[in-house]
Amino acid sequence: MTAAVTVRGLRRSYGERTVIRSLDLQIERGEFVVLLGESGCGKTTLLRALAGLDPIDGGRIDGPARPAVVFQEHRLLPWDPLWRNVALGLPEKDSRGLAETALAEVGLGDRLDDWPRNLSGGQAQRVALARALVQQPQLLLLDEPFAALDALTRIKMQSLVKALVRKHQPGVLLVTHDVDEAITLGDRALVMRDGAIARAYAISPAASGHRSHPEAIELRDRLLADLGVGADA
Amino acid sequence: MSDLSITAPAYGAALPRRTLSANRQWLSWLVPVLLVLAWEALARFGKIPRYILPAPTKVVTTGISLVEDGTLIPDIGISLLRAAAGFAIGGSIGFALGVAVGFSRTAGLLLDRTILMLRAIPFLAVLPLVIVWLGIGEGAKIFLVAFGVAFPIYMNTVLGIRQVDPKLVELGRVTGLSTWTLIRRIILPGALPSILNGVRYALATAWLALVVAETIAASSGIGFLAMDAREFLRTDVIVLVIVIYAAIGVAADSVAKLLERRLLAWHPNYAKDTRR
Repeated sequence: MTAAVTVRGLRRSYGERTVIRSLDLQIERGEFVVLLGESGCGKTTLLRALAGLDPIDGGRIDGPARPAVVFQEHRLLPWDPLWRNVALGLPEKDSRGLAETALAEVGLGDRLDDWPRNLSGGQAQRVALARALVQQPQLLLLDEPFAALDALTRIKMQSLVKALVRKHQPGVLLVTHDVDEAITLGDRALVMRDGAIARAYAISPAASGHRSHPEAIELRDRLLADLGVGADA
Repeated sequence: MSDLSITAPAYGAALPRRTLSANRQWLSWLVPVLLVLAWEALARFGKIPRYILPAPTKVVTTGISLVEDGTLIPDIGISLLRAAAGFAIGGSIGFALGVAVGFSRTAGLLLDRTILMLRAIPFLAVLPLVIVWLGIGEGAKIFLVAFGVAFPIYMNTVLGIRQVDPKLVELGRVTGLSTWTLIRRIILPGALPSILNGVRYALATAWLALVVAETIAASSGIGFLAMDAREFLRTDVIVLVIVIYAAIGVAADSVAKLLERRLLAWHPNYAKDTRR
């Protein structure tokens, strides 16, 4: 396997406050890594550093200059029809064709010329996913992309993401608060605490496959305990 | 004068449209029609002396005869040309300064205060100075229009650029857009509702500036036509000119509205239908 991104000794601070201290992380291509942690533990800071949105204060990140990002909000340009949104940043030549393929993958292939304001929250987030995947990214960063969706839409969206990641094989880092989501989607779950990775768990396909599988239940309890909400608490 | 109509429509929920049933729509025309009829009647029966206010029909026939003897159309053309030239010059300056100040903090520090100080001058107050500088030729009128137009366009351009959602700008950076593409695809479209708002306001200002400039000092144009008519107490010509000014003002505003509807089709407040 080849690494999608390798992080060594990453450090990031805001003024006096160190948010990430000496963090190491490697994500392989095709690997789905889920990052859990309490609010303020540095998850989003790490993601933003990997996305190149924030400068880093120490260490190094060896990865693509431009990973694709899906944010919590869809961030579609309201003045561009869907295909133009998906094609943002692509070279003009045949960008509509590429956008059409990407939109078809997320089930919106018939809405190329529609405006973002006519979409539901789930549909908009699917367009954002298409916009990320059309770049053929080596590394895909997902910053709580399902958080604002209703429960049913979230489940559909999760299986869509899973299928598309399997197809395109980018390395994925998903930031989430949702332990079940982590177990369903991830190959590996990382728990971040105080600016470093405190725990790492491999997630077996059996555990991903079914919520009530014994391994899934055990992993859920352990993750919840790591996050300070143990089952017996 | 105040060009403070700089509230850019937010692209949140569309305002609820008031639905007026079509069969009651004519009611809104009732009062103006009655007023014109009353005016016509009073003028016809000599209740209003002709040198105070001529009958509407007289104004219309005067208009027709002025068109026929070939004076009205060229004069309207000259007036429109002055407005267009002043608008183009003032609009370009206002837009260029607005873009500079909107993007660059340094440009903002350097220029914004000066521009706001100039904006405090009611633009009609500079008219005597403009006449001293440029005489009563074309330059003076175009200058006055440009001066009045530049500020609303400037203000709304700056405001529009500053109001662009920083999250979309961040998205542009993540996507790796070049600065130019970022401006073209994200910042200018995001600022457009506000800029067009400025254009609409500036059109009204341009027209006002032109009326004043032509009335005070001109040897052609429809403002001159009105002043010339005053010498001979031709109130019919004066009223005609007033009506033409109003009509062109309304037409300019409709063009601006049409522009908004075309360019802001994506915007929930301007959308006619939900699908393109």
